[in-house]
Amino acid sequence: MTRIGRSLYGRISISILTLLLIGVAPAVADDLSPFAGQAGTIKISGGTAHIPVMKAAAKQIMQRFSDVRITIAGGGSGVGIKQVGEGLVDIGNSGRKPTDEEITKYDLKMFKWAIDGVGLVVNPKNTVASLTTAQTKAIFAGSIHNWKAVGGADKAINLYTRDTASGTRSVFWKKALGKGEISAKANVVVSNGAMKAAVANDPYAIGYVSVGHMDESVQPVALDGVTPTLETVKSGEYKIARGLYSNTKGEPTGLTKTFIDFLFSETGQGLAAAKGFIPVK
Amino acid sequence: MRSQGLVQGLLAVAAAGSVAVTVLIFGFMIVLGLPLVTSGTFFNLFTSSWLPNEGLYGIVPMMAGSLFIAGLAMIFSFPLSLGCAALVAVLAKGRVPALLHRLVRFMTGIPTVVYGFAGIFLLVPVVREWTGSGSGMCILSASLLLAILIAPTMILFFTDSFTGVPKSYLAAADALGATPVQKFLHVVIPCSWRGLTTGVLLALGRAVGDTLIALMIAGNATAFPGSLLDSARTLPAHIALVVAADFDSLEFRTLFACGILLYAFTTLTVVLTRRMVADKGGAP
Amino acid sequence: MKARCCDKLVTAWAWLSGLVLTASVATLLGFLLTKGAGTLSPALFFGDTVPLDALLLKRQVFEGIFPATVGTLLLVGLAVGMAVPVGIATGIYMAEFAAPRTKAVFGLFFDILAGIPSILVGLFGFSAAIFLHHHFSGQITPCLLISALSLAFLVLPYLIRTTQTTLENLPRHVRMTAPALGASKLQTIFYVLLPQSLSGIVSGIILSIGRCAEDTAVIMLTGVVATAGIPASLLSGYEALPFYIYTVSAQYADQAELMRGYGAAIVLLAVCALLFALTAFIRHRLADHLLYGAR
Repeated sequence: MTRIGRSLYGRISISILTLLLIGVAPAVADDLSPFAGQAGTIKISGGTAHIPVMKAAAKQIMQRFSDVRITIAGGGSGVGIKQVGEGLVDIGNSGRKPTDEEITKYDLKMFKWAIDGVGLVVNPKNTVASLTTAQTKAIFAGSIHNWKAVGGADKAINLYTRDTASGTRSVFWKKALGKGEISAKANVVVSNGAMKAAVANDPYAIGYVSVGHMDESVQPVALDGVTPTLETVKSGEYKIARGLYSNTKGEPTGLTKTFIDFLFSETGQGLAAAKGFIPVK
Repeated sequence: MRSQGLVQGLLAVAAAGSVAVTVLIFGFMIVLGLPLVTSGTFFNLFTSSWLPNEGLYGIVPMMAGSLFIAGLAMIFSFPLSLGCAALVAVLAKGRVPALLHRLVRFMTGIPTVVYGFAGIFLLVPVVREWTGSGSGMCILSASLLLAILIAPTMILFFTDSFTGVPKSYLAAADALGATPVQKFLHVVIPCSWRGLTTGVLLALGRAVGDTLIALMIAGNATAFPGSLLDSARTLPAHIALVVAADFDSLEFRTLFACGILLYAFTTLTVVLTRRMVADKGGAP
Repeated sequence: MKARCCDKLVTAWAWLSGLVLTASVATLLGFLLTKGAGTLSPALFFGDTVPLDALLLKRQVFEGIFPATVGTLLLVGLAVGMAVPVGIATGIYMAEFAAPRTKAVFGLFFDILAGIPSILVGLFGFSAAIFLHHHFSGQITPCLLISALSLAFLVLPYLIRTTQTTLENLPRHVRMTAPALGASKLQTIFYVLLPQSLSGIVSGIILSIGRCAEDTAVIMLTGVVATAGIPASLLSGYEALPFYIYTVSAQYADQAELMRGYGAAIVLLAVCALLFALTAFIRHRLADHLLYGAR
C-alpha cells in the first residue's frame, strides 16, 4: 500500500475525493447522456461570436459519442438566419434578435442561451483608453481621422468594421452609433475573430468586437466612462449588450433538440461562461 | 466499324458536355441576374456607391479596385518578367538560366493562399511601417503580391517565345557583330511580340480574376479608392464577401452582374489571345 | 560608347529582375518555413487525439489539421476522378475526330472555360446547389459533392488541352505505322497513340491534382466549413487545407492556432512541391523510357 494509503489521514482524503468525484461526475455525464443512442449530423452556421462555444460543445459531444457529427460554419448572423430558414442548416446562430419579418418568413424558433456585449477595441500599444459616444460616432463616420484629436499619437486612425451580415455590427451600429454612418473607407473583416486579429496586428486600429472574444491581444475602450467587460455587461452598466441566439426552423426535434437542451444545461452554460459570455441561467 | 461509331459518339458527347458547361455557367449568370434589369436597378449598378441599407448597389468602387490592383500589378510585373525572361533565354550563361527557369516553373505551383498567408504576416506590417500611414492593407500591398503571383505566367510565355526566334536571324545578327543585348533588343523582342502580347493578356486575365490576394490583403473597403494606400475591394473579393447575403435579395443578384463583367473581360482576353496565335500562321 | 552603356543597363536590369524575383520568393517561403518549422509534428495533425485512433477513424480530431488534410484528399480524388474521363475523352475527340470548324469553335469555348476566374465557377456551383435544393431535393446543400463537381469543371480545360496538345504533337511516323499494318483508327488511338502520349496526359492529370488541392475560391462558396471533422457522406460539409489556412490567417483565436496555420501552409507547400517534382520526373524519365525503350 502507498504511503498515503497507510495513514488514516490519507484514507479519509481519498474517500472524500472519491465521494466528490462520484457526486460531480454524474452531473457532467447527465448533461451529455441524452445524446446516447442518437446518431446523425447537426449542421450549424451563422454568428461568429458563438463559434468558440459551439466548438467546445462539439468537442465534448463528439468525443463521447462517435455517431454524432457536428459541422460548424461562420458567416455572420444574417447568414445563420437565412440558412436555417432555407433549410440548409439545422441551427442558425445569430448575435442579434431576428426581426419579426424574419421570424414570420422562416418560422423561426429562437433560443437565447447567453448574453454578450459589443465593445470598442484598440491595439494594446494605443494610449487612448476612453472615448465618448460623440467621438465614437465621429471616428466611425470618418470626420475624426487622426488619433491626436482624441488624445493619442499623431497617426491616422485605421477603421475596421464588419460585413453587412454581421449581428455584432448591427448591434453596434444601432446602440453605440445610433444608426450613424460608418465610413465606406473602413477595412471590412468577416468575423469577430478576424476583427480581433486585425486590431491586434495594427497599432493604429480601432474596431468593435464581442466582449466574450476580448483577451490580452486587444485593449477594450471605455465608452462614456464604462469599460466593456463581463462584469459591466452583467450589471447592466455597459449598455451595448445583445443576446446570443440559436435559431431553428420550427420546433427543434431529435438531435437538434438535444443539442439546444445541452446549451441550456449546466455543462453547456458552463462552457458559455468559460468562453467569456454571461450564461442566462 | 460500328464500335468506332459508338466510341466516336461517346467522345463527341464528352466534348459537347464540356462545351455545355461553359455555356451553362454564362447562362446561369444571365438568368439569375435578370431581376436586376427588370427591377430597374441595373443602371444604378454603374452609377451609385455600395450602400445596401439604402438600396444602392453600385459596383463601380469594386470595378475601380479591380482595375487599380490588377493594373498596378501588371506595371510592377511586366518589366520584372521581361528581365527574368531575358536572363533565362538570352543573356545569362551556365547554370543560371536553367535554375531560374526551374524556380519559375516551381512558382506556378505555389498555392495562392500560401502567398496570401505570408503576405498578411510579412508584407502588410512592412508596408505599414514604410509608408507610415494606413493599415498596410491597401492597393499597394495587394499589387506587389499579385505581381509576384502573375510573374511566372509571363516569364514562361516570354521565355518560350524568345527561344522560338529563328536561329537564322540570330546567326545573321552575330555575323554583323551584334552584342547579346543588341540581339535581344533589336531581333528577339521584335520577333516575339506575339508571345509577349499573349503572355501579358493571360497574366492580366489571371490578375483580374484572382480572388484571394485582394480578399486577404487589400482591406475590402467599399469606398472608391482614392490613393495607393487606400483599402479597396475587387470584383472577385466582392463576390466572396457578399455571397453570404440573402439569396433572393437584389444585393445577391448584383453578384451576377459582377460575374458577367468578369466573364466578359476574360472572354475578351481569350479572344484576343487566340487572334494572336492564329495570325502567327503566316510569316513572323 | 552609347551602345556599351545601353548594353550594361539592360544586362543590369535583367540580372536585377532575376534577383528581385528570387529574393521575393525566397523571403516569402523562407518566412513561412522558419516560423512554422517548429510546428511539424504529429500534434499538428492530430491535436490531442491518439494518431492511430484518428487514422482508423475511431476518434475525431480537434485542434489538428488531419480533418482538413483528409478533406482535401477526398476532394481532389473526387474532382479529378470525375474530370479525367471526360477531359481525356474530349481531348481525344478534339485531336482525332473533330472537323476543323468544330475544332476551332470548341477550342474557343475551352479556352474561355480555362480563363474563367475560379470565383465564378464557385458562384455557379453555389447557385446550382441552391437551385437544386429548391427544385429537386431538400437534401442537397453546398457540400463535398457540389465542391468536387465545381472543381471538376475548373480543371476540365487543363485536361482537355494537355491531352489534345500531346496527341497533336506526336511525330507523323508514329501515326502512320499502325494503319500501314492494317489497324483501324480506334486501334491506332488506343494501342499506339495514347500510350505514346501517356507522359503528357499524366502531366495534365498531375497539374489538375495540384490545381484542385490549392484552390480556395471555389470551395469557399460551395461547401467547405471551418469545423466538420471527417466528412460522413458526399452530401456533408467538410474541411480543406487551403480554407483552413485562409481562416487561420484572418481569424486565429490564439497563438497555437496561428502556429497550426503556419504548419498547414508548409504542408500544402510540401504537397505542391511533391507534385512538381513528380511532373519533372515524369517529363524527363517516363517520356524517354516509353519512346525509346530503357535507357
